[in-house]
Amino acid sequence: MRRYDVCIIGAGPAGLSAAIEAQKLGMKSAVFDENHRPGGQLFKQIHKFFGSKEHMAKIRGFEIGKELLEEAKNVGVDVHLDAVVMGIYEPHRITVREDDSITSYSADSIIVSTGASEKTIPFEGWTLPGVIGAGAAQTMMNLYGVRPGKKILMMGSGNVGLVVGFQLLQAGCEVAALIDAAPRIGGYGVHAAKLARCGIPFYLSHTVVKAEGNGKVEKVTIAEIDKNWEFIPGTEKTFDVDTVCLAVGLTPMSQLLRMAGCKTKYAGGTVPVCDKFGETSIKGLFASGDVSGIEEASSAMIGGKISAVGAAFRCGFINEKEREQKYDEYSLSLFKLRKGLFSKENKGRTDITKTDEGIDLSMTLFKKGYMTEEELKKFVRNSEIKGPHPVIECTQNIPCNPCEDSCSFGCIHVGNEISAVPKFDENKKCRNCKMCVASCPGQAIFIVDNDIGDGYASVSFPYEFCPLPEIGEKGFALGRDGKDLCVAEIIDVTTNKAFDSTAVVTMKVPKEMSMTARFYRKEVPVNE
Amino acid sequence: MSKIIDRSADIGEFVPEKDDDILVCRCEEITKGEIRKAVHMGLYTMTEVKRFLRPTMGLCQGQICGENVRRIIAKELKEPIEALKETTARPPVRPIEMEVFGNEVEKL
Amino acid sequence: MERITKHPIIESFDKGRKVAFTFDGKTMEGFEGEPVAAALKANGVMIHRYTEKRHEPRGIFCAIGRCTDCVMVVDGVPNTRTCVTLLKEGMDVRTQYGKGGTEYEKI
Repeated sequence: MRRYDVCIIGAGPAGLSAAIEAQKLGMKSAVFDENHRPGGQLFKQIHKFFGSKEHMAKIRGFEIGKELLEEAKNVGVDVHLDAVVMGIYEPHRITVREDDSITSYSADSIIVSTGASEKTIPFEGWTLPGVIGAGAAQTMMNLYGVRPGKKILMMGSGNVGLVVGFQLLQAGCEVAALIDAAPRIGGYGVHAAKLARCGIPFYLSHTVVKAEGNGKVEKVTIAEIDKNWEFIPGTEKTFDVDTVCLAVGLTPMSQLLRMAGCKTKYAGGTVPVCDKFGETSIKGLFASGDVSGIEEASSAMIGGKISAVGAAFRCGFINEKEREQKYDEYSLSLFKLRKGLFSKENKGRTDITKTDEGIDLSMTLFKKGYMTEEELKKFVRNSEIKGPHPVIECTQNIPCNPCEDSCSFGCIHVGNEISAVPKFDENKKCRNCKMCVASCPGQAIFIVDNDIGDGYASVSFPYEFCPLPEIGEKGFALGRDGKDLCVAEIIDVTTNKAFDSTAVVTMKVPKEMSMTARFYRKEVPVNE
Repeated sequence: MSKIIDRSADIGEFVPEKDDDILVCRCEEITKGEIRKAVHMGLYTMTEVKRFLRPTMGLCQGQICGENVRRIIAKELKEPIEALKETTARPPVRPIEMEVFGNEVEKL
Repeated sequence: MERITKHPIIESFDKGRKVAFTFDGKTMEGFEGEPVAAALKANGVMIHRYTEKRHEPRGIFCAIGRCTDCVMVVDGVPNTRTCVTLLKEGMDVRTQYGKGGTEYEKI
């Protein structure tokens, strides 16, 4: 039987981070993944991550995946791909399918980081080809460059639904609507706002009645639901879409842990009962990442490291003092990520009406995906400011601060509490470098100049679509709700390496539109 | 986490619902109505329903429908979902050909 | 027709050489090393199989090898998960009927 000091199951963000940390602590480590490509979901994540520098914020998921993989190889981790763990046996033995045979591996510790699988909601017609998981859409478009459909209805307004919805637009698909049975948008307001300004309608308290079609989805009917989840007659709406994407939550993939016999509990899915290092009720068996409770990839990476520290102590590679030191360091980093409006303790709460700073949260943002100007005014003071300056439309407490780091002139302040709402310091001078616009993972920062002469204002906004607008081109300026406002002329398009594929586009709009115009669409001639 | 379900408890008669025809288990093609009826026939656990009707016994091994089946049974028994024990997790956790499963090799 | 040729973030998709394969005897093109399901999707194929009991069509659902809805008969092997089986030149991909046939068994 082949032996390692630690065997890690799953080469996603948690598993790779665990393997790297374990190997660095002197353990001979192996990571097994059933997929042909490692990285778990990271390689499907093409958006910039939230958090702060220590959490690799501002870097796109697939780039983080590349870095982790590179590091794993450099430190000498054995990465087994196309290696399907079939079973787990006591004390610490796993059987793995590789090619057409089974091999047993034993280890002194095992870290299970198998991640999560997607939940589903059965409805009439949900087995028709064209009804797919959001993960399936991501796999097809972001890994293999194949569009999952032409016109899509997204079901679920959590971060997965919002992020994948936007990625569908980036892939050149049409998104008909985003619906959720819940009365509030579940994910970050900034993610919702990106979709809203592209004109994507949100239907909250709505679910799918049925999907229909001949051999594939051709038509989908949705309806509003009441408190008892009953359809309200007369509220039906029909969309001619060819695809329905399900993003209705994730559930930990805990079969291996259950098979091992460790204590579990129910928390939206079966999760193992763990100590602070992720050690289960079975000594030397650890769980980290989504399998121990659904969170974001950023926290999974830290969770993986913490489990590795626990395993290294369990196997005698570090002493208790070293373990506690490392734990303190990593847990502090994790603590920062677990704050704000979307933290575990605030999840699903609908009674929060103010930010930590005491400012009224935008209720329109929860319902429609955008803010009204009145609501925004509580966060942003604009009218008296002369010259170009950032208008920060980030109004919920989310753990993220790349904007603060991006401004070398110190214009933007977040502070030690990274879930604080960022503020523009009016005493500092904005040099219009646009780094903040490109750096914001939520694409929520705009550079506005209220007066560029002749009765015009300029608005710079992030743009991640093909093709890029061209200087001199004319089209429509769109509001936060994606509706046509007025004619706009493109006066600048900036791309550079530091912007990392995010272009910053500047348009010229009438002065009175400076706080209304937030996006742009090229005017398509009627005969096209 | 799971509790012992009282089999003498009155769960009422089977009442047809509008969405009883919806497939829950995609692999074995089992509907919500069939699962609900099975509960009213006295099958109160995941394991019993699984052995009787085969939901979660198809190729996907319950990875897609498992939680939905559990929720439907629990609701019919008027219990929270966590009251119901999941099906036993057994190797192999992924579908595998018998000839491969039996072909154990030593790697050094 | 469904292939993304220009993407704002992803510079290029990791693709192998162009190869031919057959779907129910019809020749199609795909890229070596991509999942069979991706190649079929790019060729507009939605139906991978028909179910045993209800004879209903199924296609891609999870695309990561879990749901087994996309199984087909590939090079004679039934119940092959096309979303995690990589395309090779000359592959013979067939619609699956029921639990493993290339047509429903006539009883």
